[in-house]
Amino acid sequence: MTSKSPSDFLKNIIGKPVIVKLTSSIEYKGILACLDAYMNISLEQAEEWIEGQFKNKYADIFIRGNNVFYVTPQKKRNLQDL
Amino acid sequence: MNLEVKEPIDLVRLSLGEKIYIKMRGDRELRGTLHAFDQHLNIVLSNVEEVLTVIEIDEETNEEIMKTTRRNFEMLYIRGDGIIAIAPPKRF
Repeated sequence: MTSKSPSDFLKNIIGKPVIVKLTSSIEYKGILACLDAYMNISLEQAEEWIEGQFKNKYADIFIRGNNVFYVTPQKKRNLQDL
Repeated sequence: MNLEVKEPIDLVRLSLGEKIYIKMRGDRELRGTLHAFDQHLNIVLSNVEEVLTVIEIDEETNEEIMKTTRRNFEMLYIRGDGIIAIAPPKRF
């Protein structure tokens, strides 16, 4: 996957499973539905993980961009909880 | 109304008039009916329940005890910068 800029990278992974980590170390794993210039993110079929523990499931969730630490593509979904 | 989600804030727009869940900084959670929002995500909710979770450590056993405090508001204006995430109501 080649990306010309960080935002090209993000556009490339729309529709794919990702992990979004927040500065508070909460992680959301789900399908990246869309994002905007603030790095506000909407995920589908999202799981909330706090300190490695599964907490919640959301069909859709909006994440306010200022809380985002990183976004990374997730190759195999839920491998660690199988 | 356009029902497509093209940018993340559309997800919030689609929840207008519906019950939403908001995760706030400081271990606070809110559930209420969404009346209005803006680009900062300042929000007006009605019939709100706030759940505040605090973890207390028992000095004798060192056990972590989760305690929740609940409050209700008829109407609430929330400043956007305290918001971490917003989820539309769960569809069962």
